[in-house]
Amino acid sequence: MAFFIETLIGGLMAGMLYSLVALGFVLIFKASGVFNFAQGALVLFAALAMARFAEWLPAWFGIESLALANVLAFLITIAIMFVAALLIERLVLRYLVNQEGATLLMATLGIAYFLEGFGQTVFGSDIYKIDVGMPKDPVLILENVFEGGILINKEDFIAAVIAATLVTLLTLFFQKTATGRALRAVADDHQAAQSIGIPLNRIWVIVWCVAGVVALVAGIIWGSKLGVQFSLATVALRALPVVILGGLTSVPGAIIGGLIIGVGEKLSEVYLGPSIGGGIEIWFAYVLALVFLLFRPQGLFGEKIIDRV
Amino acid sequence: MGRQIGEVILDLKNISLSFGGVKALSDISFDVREHEIRAIIGPNGAGKSSMLNVINGVYRPQQGEIVLRGEHFANMTPARAARAGIARTFQNLALFKGMTVLDNIMAGRNLQMRANLFQQAIWFGPARREELAHRAKVEEIIDFLEIQHIRKVPVGRLPYGLQKRVDLGRALAMEPQILLLDEPMAGMNVEEKQDMCRFILDINDQFGTTIVLIEHDMGVVMDISDRVVVLDYGRKIGDGAPDEVRANPDVIRAYLGTSN
Ligand SMILES: Nc1ncnc2c1ncn2[C@@H]1O[C@H](COP(=O)(O)OP(=O)(O)OP(=O)(O)O)[C@@H](O)[C@H]1O
Ligand SMILES: [Mg+2]
Repeated sequence: MAFFIETLIGGLMAGMLYSLVALGFVLIFKASGVFNFAQGALVLFAALAMARFAEWLPAWFGIESLALANVLAFLITIAIMFVAALLIERLVLRYLVNQEGATLLMATLGIAYFLEGFGQTVFGSDIYKIDVGMPKDPVLILENVFEGGILINKEDFIAAVIAATLVTLLTLFFQKTATGRALRAVADDHQAAQSIGIPLNRIWVIVWCVAGVVALVAGIIWGSKLGVQFSLATVALRALPVVILGGLTSVPGAIIGGLIIGVGEKLSEVYLGPSIGGGIEIWFAYVLALVFLLFRPQGLFGEKIIDRV
Repeated sequence: MGRQIGEVILDLKNISLSFGGVKALSDISFDVREHEIRAIIGPNGAGKSSMLNVINGVYRPQQGEIVLRGEHFANMTPARAARAGIARTFQNLALFKGMTVLDNIMAGRNLQMRANLFQQAIWFGPARREELAHRAKVEEIIDFLEIQHIRKVPVGRLPYGLQKRVDLGRALAMEPQILLLDEPMAGMNVEEKQDMCRFILDINDQFGTTIVLIEHDMGVVMDISDRVVVLDYGRKIGDGAPDEVRANPDVIRAYLGTSN
């Protein structure tokens, strides 16, 4: 029992990060109808920038404190992600308004390749470390409830708390502020939003900025755990089945879908892995999402798809 | 009526618009005077909605220009129109379905909001004060339209007639000088139509808002409008006071011909 709960908690904590990345997807899709294939590349790009600036700044300016170097690197990377969001809107999306979904998807594929290539050109293509002082040691909790207690990875726990906080803050922002309302308006009806003077371009820049921040946070967490390397871009794409599961247009769907996928992966890895073979956690999420699609094509919380005949 | 009809506020000059081979509008000119209720009528497919879409910049005409308070707009966009004080409603409802009535109408205040993103993110302070001030204004509109009881309901769940009212409320929240209404009474029962008529007349009377109105119901049009433009197959076939238009042989022919 204790082991099961341990696995479950591990899954939920990993799932929180998927939720976060999926949220980035959903926001962009809702606001602009763009299926953003570049989300993974954004994560890689942000993590690279973060890792390298945290390394370069002390060397350039003789900064002694690790914390200070990290904070500065974080701020610089945020600024870079905002500039990237602005450029993506100015140079790419603005010219593709009202194009087919497939065209937009291809455009984001292009953005993904560009970010991956450009990021490695500027920041290098080795494996880099992000050290934000995450504790690596596990702790035991609930020792008096379960025999032997439950082993929790402190790093995962902190990551999950950070992700959950960010998700909560973003949700509040969208529900409570004027810009959040404008964003929801754009998501519901472009034409009506324009007619009341909401500038679509600005909203698009904002959602890409949010996606950039989300990517940076996910990049720092994954990067500090796995090291910053090319494969980060694919780790982030594990959030794809999450949005399929949760529904492309649903924020709660992204959050709950992330948790389901996180838990599903961990449970399948631990309980099915030994009999089916290793590596199951890599494809399990897709199978889960596909099976799910058979029953609810619109996803967990997505709007019903009504085909006009 | 207590209001005084003023100078020409909106002048449409030689507007032509086509979609591929379809000529939606051919060389249409007419003007709208301040504080008046100006109706656009015509059979289905005559180009009425296209005309509204040209005025607020959704469609860009191949020819012609829009003169708004003496300012020439060669290419109007919805954003420019909104900033210039033009608000509109839609023939096929275009509400923010997932949002409540209150949020839909609050969204209409978007252009009047001044707090920047940073202040909004902090929430307390200027952004909150601003939000409350706009909220008060929106409550006035809600009272005016008599929809207090559904303030917190997501509009997607409302019956059609009420959705039309919310659509009007959202446009009103912009405090527009010119209000474009595309068939505001379509699909309504008699009682709902009467309410809507009353709202339109009150808006015009109390706030002095200039109104451009598309409507199929002849009784309504003749009752409430000051002047009427008649379109048929993208051409203008009549323009004048309701009585003049009603007596116009071309107009009679267009309407009898299509049995509308
Ligand atoms: N976006 C568009 N693309 C192609 N054709 C269009 C478009 N919008 C309008 N049309 C065409 O232009 C013509 C005029 O349409 P419009 O909607 O302006 O008519 P209407 O007078 O509003 O009719 P209704 O009373 O049915 O609303 C029609 O032939 C229509 O098919
Ligand atoms: Mg129409």
